[in-house]
Amino acid sequence: MNPLAALWLSIALGACAQVFLKRGVGHQQIAGGPGSYLALVRSGWVWAWGVCFVFATGLWMMAISAMQVSYAFPLLSIGYLVVAVLSVVFLKERIPASRWAAIGVITLGVALIFSS
Amino acid sequence: MSTGSMVEKPELLMERTNLVTPSALWQWAALGAIVLGSFGHLLIKMGVTAAARQTLNSSVLSRLGHYILQPAAMTGLLIYGVGTLLWIYAVSQRSISFLYPLTALTYVVVALGGRFIFGEVISRQRWLGIAVVMVGVAMLQLSAREQKA
Repeated sequence: MNPLAALWLSIALGACAQVFLKRGVGHQQIAGGPGSYLALVRSGWVWAWGVCFVFATGLWMMAISAMQVSYAFPLLSIGYLVVAVLSVVFLKERIPASRWAAIGVITLGVALIFSS
Repeated sequence: MSTGSMVEKPELLMERTNLVTPSALWQWAALGAIVLGSFGHLLIKMGVTAAARQTLNSSVLSRLGHYILQPAAMTGLLIYGVGTLLWIYAVSQRSISFLYPLTALTYVVVALGGRFIFGEVISRQRWLGIAVVMVGVAMLQLSAREQKA
């Protein structure tokens, strides 16, 4: 697969994974014991997270083995924005303006760290 | 009435003990997830880079299998897995639009780890990037205070 296509697919699946995970565990209070983690196995959303996460990670590994880190990592930070948008649309999370600004600043910082 | 002062005191006490009781546990879980995720990522990268040199012309699936079977990559995945369990806990406690950008601290941990463990040189621009990420994370914290999330 084309490394750039693998990278974009990895970013999209990774963002979906986080939103699915929140959907799966959002209303459950995990007490910290192993039992509360085992209960998560029954949630379809948690399974969706697992599948997306595994594919996102595999695609990410393929992408970084074939392209420069200074190119791949700054693109990865677009995931913060994608997760924020998805969390508004699918989870009805309310994001204050200060958080959008924070996400922008973090994305800029990551771009600065990796561009050379 | 004198009951006013009696009500106030237990509330104050509650606020203090909250620092160590489950309501603050998510912060440690998120931090642990980020640190373990960083070291896991470093090990995975080591294993994958080694494997990539050996399997330039194989199919996608056999390459993927080969990557995962590298000892460094396997150890990295294990550490990453423990970090993931901590992450799940943190996600159950706070909104994802707040928690996910925190993972940018991974890059700060990896850069500082490279600097202080392996003696790598960090360029001026990279230091600037690290500072900007830290400012962004501080802004995130303020946004959470604003919105109890």
